[in-house]
Amino acid sequence: MRKNKIKSMVSFLFLFGLLFMMTGGFNHSQELPKAQLPVLTTSAGQSPDVTTLNIVCEEAGILYDYCDVPDVDMISQGVGLGGQESQSGFHVEINTDLEKYPEGTDYQTIMFAIGASLKGMGASGLTVDDEVNRLKNIIEYCKENDIFIIGIHVGGVSKRGAPGSDNERMISAVAPYADLLIVTKDSNKDGRFTEISNNNEIPLKEIEYALNLVPLLKDIFD
Amino acid sequence: MSRQLIYKSLMVIIIGTITFIGGLQLFHHRHFQIPMVAGPGVTQVKKLSDYAPGLKGTMADTNVFFLEGSEPGGKMMIIANTHSNEPAALLSALIFLENSTVEKGTLIIIPQFNNSGGRNTQPGDGYPLYFEIKTPWGYKKFRMGNRIASPLDQWPDPDVYVHYPDRQMLSYLDIRNTNRTWPGRPKGALMEKLTYAAMELIREEDVDLAIDIHGAETMFPVTNCIVAPEKSLRIATMTSLTLKATEGFDNHVEPSPEGFRGLSHREIGDFSDALPFLLEAPLPFLDQPTGPKTVDLLLEGKDPFLLKLSKKGKLFVPYDEQGWPMSKRVGQHCSAVLEIAKQFSRRNSDQAIKISNVPRYADVVKNGVGFYYKDPSKSDKENVFYN
Repeated sequence: MRKNKIKSMVSFLFLFGLLFMMTGGFNHSQELPKAQLPVLTTSAGQSPDVTTLNIVCEEAGILYDYCDVPDVDMISQGVGLGGQESQSGFHVEINTDLEKYPEGTDYQTIMFAIGASLKGMGASGLTVDDEVNRLKNIIEYCKENDIFIIGIHVGGVSKRGAPGSDNERMISAVAPYADLLIVTKDSNKDGRFTEISNNNEIPLKEIEYALNLVPLLKDIFD
Repeated sequence: MSRQLIYKSLMVIIIGTITFIGGLQLFHHRHFQIPMVAGPGVTQVKKLSDYAPGLKGTMADTNVFFLEGSEPGGKMMIIANTHSNEPAALLSALIFLENSTVEKGTLIIIPQFNNSGGRNTQPGDGYPLYFEIKTPWGYKKFRMGNRIASPLDQWPDPDVYVHYPDRQMLSYLDIRNTNRTWPGRPKGALMEKLTYAAMELIREEDVDLAIDIHGAETMFPVTNCIVAPEKSLRIATMTSLTLKATEGFDNHVEPSPEGFRGLSHREIGDFSDALPFLLEAPLPFLDQPTGPKTVDLLLEGKDPFLLKLSKKGKLFVPYDEQGWPMSKRVGQHCSAVLEIAKQFSRRNSDQAIKISNVPRYADVVKNGVGFYYKDPSKSDKENVFYN
């Protein structure tokens, strides 16, 4: 009788373990955390995917601030980015609802559109190393100040590459430190984001198409 | 008669015969007419010279078809054959011309924008002079044109082409390239007059959306995409995302560079209120490392050298044994144009443009391009137009 109980228990634990592994740990792919406003969108790698992210935010009705190459000093000045203005190789948009979140309000969330573009980095006067260092500093600041980090990769295969390539370095700079990862299926064909999610216990949401970001972001910022 | 004189006379006769035979083919090509059947939606046919008299009586003048809806709304213009060696543009424009009905707003179609280029060829590259599209009623024959206007219509070329008004220096050949001569000027070279006339049309008719349809090499990064300046970026991006999600094909967005002048996607937006878009579909025929430039390569886009390059990751589009058939390219263009209109209408309900009876990507791939063409011999003569 006792033997049977132990057997059942072992079987149950085995099945539970199997299910646990199959679902990628603590339901990382299903239970999505909520994010708070105000939010800043930016690029990790200066690819045009950040434009996609901004347009998706507009479609989802999320009012955001945007800067392609913010530094810690600007982010620390909160909404409005300290009055920064666009110039050649540097773009800023302030769309946050200033009645709800006046200038200077601390950002609660930063969304990174991950994807490298040498053309984009060149236009901003950055090398790949500069960009990686800039991202490291921002991530460090976010961690110190409890700013929620969302890493987004919707560029698909064209924004992936061999280990150590520009695109992979951008992923390494942001994804392992994110609080939430959102990627398209073709961006995660090799399972790299799943691995990062599992190793770092980061919730991962895989979407079929970039357009699926619209309802997803609505839900996350609900 | 000396032996030398006989030899010289013989050479003159041989060269004269070759020149005559070759010249006759080029003469027929230049004067070959493509019938276009105005479909049920066409309400007016004008000439581009109606907007800039400088074009009147020249080979650059071309037909402009108006399809006006019963309800007022926005205005969308399709420009095809800016580069006449990218024929998916003309084939797509013809599908719109022969089938569309417009319920709201106006559709303006210029199927053969660079009419002179359409009557030119690239013999040095071994271009075929014609190609045929299979239809339910037989084969419809088209001229295969060239990227630039014929030197018979605009000559001589300068040593360096200085763009007007920005004075950017471009290749001497680009003065005959109607995607380098925007926004044009009324008293410039003929191709500058042509783009000026189109700008006048856009301004006078208050065109909201101007879509210039092209094709590009698979080895060129700006392919399989929508090129859009800042002001058109939102609609272009939503079009691209929606097409991927609903119709399953990629058509990424490329920003129009501010520093590169003379292109439709830059100058139309800068010199009018219209939102410009330039559509590029992959065109393996234009790639350099291919086999012979045959009609099959043009229509099917299959090439063993490109296949090898694809396996080495050298192409900017997916490429397999199926190539890039014309039906895929035309289908993409049809869907992209319809989606741009839809995205614009979503944001501008009072200026909406509603077009029906135009097939989308899956329909064109399934039925073929020719399925949508009308038989000119069975159409009313007053509905058949030639440029």
